[in-house]
Amino acid sequence: MTLFEVRDLRAGYGKVDVLFGVSLTASKGELIGIVGPNGAGKSTLFGAIVGTVGLRGGSVFLDGEDISGKRPEDIVRRGLSLVPEGRQIFSGLSVIENLTLGLTGRRDKHGEKGALERVHDLFPVLTTHRDHQAGMLSGGQQQQLAIARALVADPRVLLLDEPSLGLSPTVVKDVFDRLIAIAESGTAVVIVEQRAHLVTRLAERTHVLRAGKLQATLTKEDAADEAKLTAAYFGNSGE
Amino acid sequence: MIQAILDAVSLGGVYALAALGLGLVFGVMRLVNFAHAELITVASYTLVMTHQFPLVVSIVLSVVAASLMALLMELLAYRRLRGSNPATMLIVSFGVSVLLQKVYELVFGALPRSASVATGLTGAFTVGGVSITIASVVTIVLAVVILLAMGYLIERTKLGLQLRAAASDFQTARLLGVRSNRLIASAFVISGALAAVVAFVNVVGNPQVDPRFGLDITILALVGIVVGGMNSLRGSALGGFIVGAVLSLLNVILGNGRVYAYSWMFVIVIVILLVRPGGILSKFATKERV
Repeated sequence: MTLFEVRDLRAGYGKVDVLFGVSLTASKGELIGIVGPNGAGKSTLFGAIVGTVGLRGGSVFLDGEDISGKRPEDIVRRGLSLVPEGRQIFSGLSVIENLTLGLTGRRDKHGEKGALERVHDLFPVLTTHRDHQAGMLSGGQQQQLAIARALVADPRVLLLDEPSLGLSPTVVKDVFDRLIAIAESGTAVVIVEQRAHLVTRLAERTHVLRAGKLQATLTKEDAADEAKLTAAYFGNSGE
Repeated sequence: MIQAILDAVSLGGVYALAALGLGLVFGVMRLVNFAHAELITVASYTLVMTHQFPLVVSIVLSVVAASLMALLMELLAYRRLRGSNPATMLIVSFGVSVLLQKVYELVFGALPRSASVATGLTGAFTVGGVSITIASVVTIVLAVVILLAMGYLIERTKLGLQLRAAASDFQTARLLGVRSNRLIASAFVISGALAAVVAFVNVVGNPQVDPRFGLDITILALVGIVVGGMNSLRGSALGGFIVGAVLSLLNVILGNGRVYAYSWMFVIVIVILLVRPGGILSKFATKERV
């Protein structure tokens, strides 16, 4: 059953249109990928979904409720969280303060302690650095903190914008392993990645976004075919 | 000498409170609220107009008046400008400031309104042969208590955590569920309450309230938040304190040359900013523009 649906979404900045009717869906526990080159509109898509970029048309539904055009702080309370590009942790605050801020968006205030315990289980390194300034963490640890901070809000849908950015291959594998575990726990996970191969091997479906439109949707098997992936990514045969 | 030091600490404390009020609003909105002066003025008028009431009632009314005025400023003038560039917001805050001065002039008249407020604080006492004014001691105690309370609010409460996060990156804070309208309104209300405290201390020392009563202290508090570091609430308070304390000490040190106290204070400010262009507690380096 569809938990999250983006229907014919159009968005842009000033006089420039960036998205031209993007549609996609995700079900509970699904891991969906969105790939595309620089400037394809991937971050704009997430911005339009969470309310930081103005919509020019279309709708976003969460569990049947139309959340399009709502404010970011209201959207997170409905169960949709974003881990933004570049992590955007509060580097001057401690790890626990960052996590506490993440609790602000929870609907169920009684479950705060349990939520913190769960993310500490999932990311034990955050327990070790609990009182350290977040800006002192390594890139991988900061990414874990950014994901944990989104998770404590108990999202039904988790959006991640370029989670591999600036991370070493070993750390990327570690982060993506956690994302699989998060999806397996029932959260719908939607990942935007420029490095397509990172997400295509994990996602049930990968959408290719180019020039503000979804150009193709690939299954895990489709994406394993390098030629097919290249053709979808670049819009030609890849030669 | 002891009285001079007490006066310096006392004036520093008052400017620290004024700068903290400005810094709170700047933190969440990137707005240099020049109209903070009119919050101090409305609280001062309230104290003078209600001087016949018990002091506590008068103080509470002045806090309510300044907080309400701050909230109205936010709702009617600044809310629609969120996201505008800082220069636009600064110009609008000038406009709000001038408009309110004219409103005060229409309501209270251009000439100063005067009344004795908290007359018990105007005396002095002697310790070891040194005469100390009650007002300076009360001001120091008040400033310390309120700065500590603000420190607790900012460092130990959820509201404070949200204010610090919003000052660092408001958009990300909103993505985490921080309610922007509520948080900005809270910052304005606290800023108004701090303005009322500043008004109380000033009115006790100088109960001649005119429509421009809050202007001088606000300008110097603005200098203070630049000196301390505009991106840091601690920096704002520290900068305000330095400006107030230095100005007070210069007035004593310069003796008959105290007419140059402002000039010397700005020389010191320039030296501080040359050494720490982002302010004393700022973590940000300046960017080369030319």
